[in-house]
Amino acid sequence: MTTVSQVSAPLPTPAPSGMGGPRDHRGSFVPTMGMIATRFMELRKRRGLMVALVLVNIGIPVVFLGVRLVLHASAPKSYGPAGGYNIYTGLTAGVLYIFGFIVAATLGCTAGSIDLTEGMFRHLVVTGRSRLALYLARIPAGLAIIVPLVALGFTVVCAVCVFAAPTRINYDGASVPAHLSLSGFETWAGNNPDPVICDLPYDQPITVSVPCPGGGQVVINGPGPSGATVQNVPSSPSDIKAQAIQVAQEDYPGYKMLFLYPSDSLMIETGLWIELEATVGFIVGLGLASLLGQRTVPVILMIVLEIVLTPILSRAHLPHLANLQRAVVGLATAHLAPGGLPVLGGGGGGPGGGHGSPALLPESTTVAVCVILAWLVGWTILGAWRMMNRDA
Amino acid sequence: MTIATLPDTTDARAADSQWAVETHGLTKRFGENVAVNGVELLVPRGCAFGYLGPNGAGKTTLIRVLLGLTHADAGSMSLLGYSVPRHRDLALARVGAIVDEPRFHGHLSGRQNLQLLAAAREPAARDRIEASLDRVGILHRADDRVSKYSMGMRQRLGVAACLIGDPQLLVLDEPMNGLDPAGMQDMRDMILSLVAEGRTVVLSSHLLDEVERTCDAVAIVDRGNVIRQGPISELLAGSSLVLQVDCSDPDRARSLLQTTNIGADIDASEVGLGITLPAGTGRDVVAEINRVLVEGRISVYRLQEVQASLESWFLQVTSRLGAPQ
Repeated sequence: MTTVSQVSAPLPTPAPSGMGGPRDHRGSFVPTMGMIATRFMELRKRRGLMVALVLVNIGIPVVFLGVRLVLHASAPKSYGPAGGYNIYTGLTAGVLYIFGFIVAATLGCTAGSIDLTEGMFRHLVVTGRSRLALYLARIPAGLAIIVPLVALGFTVVCAVCVFAAPTRINYDGASVPAHLSLSGFETWAGNNPDPVICDLPYDQPITVSVPCPGGGQVVINGPGPSGATVQNVPSSPSDIKAQAIQVAQEDYPGYKMLFLYPSDSLMIETGLWIELEATVGFIVGLGLASLLGQRTVPVILMIVLEIVLTPILSRAHLPHLANLQRAVVGLATAHLAPGGLPVLGGGGGGPGGGHGSPALLPESTTVAVCVILAWLVGWTILGAWRMMNRDA
Repeated sequence: MTIATLPDTTDARAADSQWAVETHGLTKRFGENVAVNGVELLVPRGCAFGYLGPNGAGKTTLIRVLLGLTHADAGSMSLLGYSVPRHRDLALARVGAIVDEPRFHGHLSGRQNLQLLAAAREPAARDRIEASLDRVGILHRADDRVSKYSMGMRQRLGVAACLIGDPQLLVLDEPMNGLDPAGMQDMRDMILSLVAEGRTVVLSSHLLDEVERTCDAVAIVDRGNVIRQGPISELLAGSSLVLQVDCSDPDRARSLLQTTNIGADIDASEVGLGITLPAGTGRDVVAEINRVLVEGRISVYRLQEVQASLESWFLQVTSRLGAPQ
């Protein structure tokens, strides 16, 4: 039984407040700079999370490269240079790409769930601010953390791989100077005929004899070092030089594909590619955590997606599920990998490897881009929808 | 919908509304359980309004519905004259609220938590952070992490979070929880000062004594229904009259009074009688009781009308109307 009539006459209405006025666009879905800045602060102040992100993104490459630098400095004959092309490809495609995704996903899952689990969500809802704006503010705030962090780790890798790169190329056992033109390569071969004739792969018959290292062999009239006929017949220096130049001409295309350190364009492309992967990890993690309303399970799911499901689905041959496999975002980003990078646990790529690993399920660049956009937009919509309809 | 697109007449209509909170037939169900059942609630502007009910009565659910934290299944409501949820953003721009226990990001300081909330409000809210912290008495701890705060300090921070919006309506759910006596006194004074400034405070509490000291009007909710509402003085005026009688022979006094037709419930003890008279009993009945006792040669040492408390009235109405069905 309600006795509304018993309520007394209302007291005088308070003077209209100048605060909380109706002109602050509170219902707009566009987050304000202040919302983004304070959300950035909230994430940045999570000391444990930030330490973990820095350790994984920067600490692992720094420790790995630091140990190599120290070892090379102390025993250069036993330990090779810390940097170089191969180290670069291994660290970027094998560490930064995968761990960048995981740490970005962890940050996204944190940003997507922590207001709810820590009881701040209802405070924010009671402000009257659009829930969509509250959600969208997390995207630039989180990216403002993860993008520089990934960039910093990547910069460390690039710096060491360029400035601590080897000075000579090891080409099938032959130590060759880097970046020679064809004529320079021929000149160098003419001046160093023994390693060229003994070590470089050459399928044509060799008509001279030279002493090869590691056994004092003499090669003559053989199909090459591996199948050489051994005879102790001296050849003239001019014949040996001509033979070396001939071998150099034959092997120059292979030599051209070897690098001491990554090129500027490769580093730029790789940097953008790793940032793309981290962005995908963050936004998908944000949406998934917002959808589920918690952090732990989404983090586990994201890790499983990255290091278990994606490699399997990228390489498995399932004819009836090929299009479903192509919808995996990890496969799509792998297809956008810069040429020369082995991806998804190796098995392809390498110098001149083209776009992505040849063992990956084929996918056009257009499809890959569409898949990535669909994941970004789809998870943002799902996360925002859940946030807008969730009980606070 | 953006605020700028709303016509100004919305503000004018809202300002004309005499009610800070108005609900009609408001209903919220959780499966089979009806947590809020067709509630009709009117909270006048500029007063402290108590919202009382036993545990599980639906107090917090109603507050959550009012604030848009959860959706209503039926009914209509308005805050400060703005229809909710249609003009929810306009209404909540003028509302501050603590729902359940106040929880914040523990790794941030009190000040940083308020900065986070102020950023979601209007730009001027940031300028009110210092004053709000000062008003609730935690300015000296504003830069400490909230994880180091006591429950009472979190309550105060929750009130500060309300104040940064310079609200015309404050909804405080159990604000006295965790406060020591001095803190409760401070909170009581602050609520009264907020009301004195012309704001409306809706106070949900189990502490009936605090509500009685603080509020002008109350609503009693039980099983999702508002069963009574109105000014406390008027509600108590409709409650039973209790007389405490100290006399020489309580047992004989009770026997004497039971032979009359005054219609009272009488409890006898060693020190005297407790006589409960029906609501609306006139003073002549009190005189009649005294006359019967004196003529029965019982010495009456004291005959006192006991002021009905909100607590006794609350227990009375909730036990009668809220009894198991």
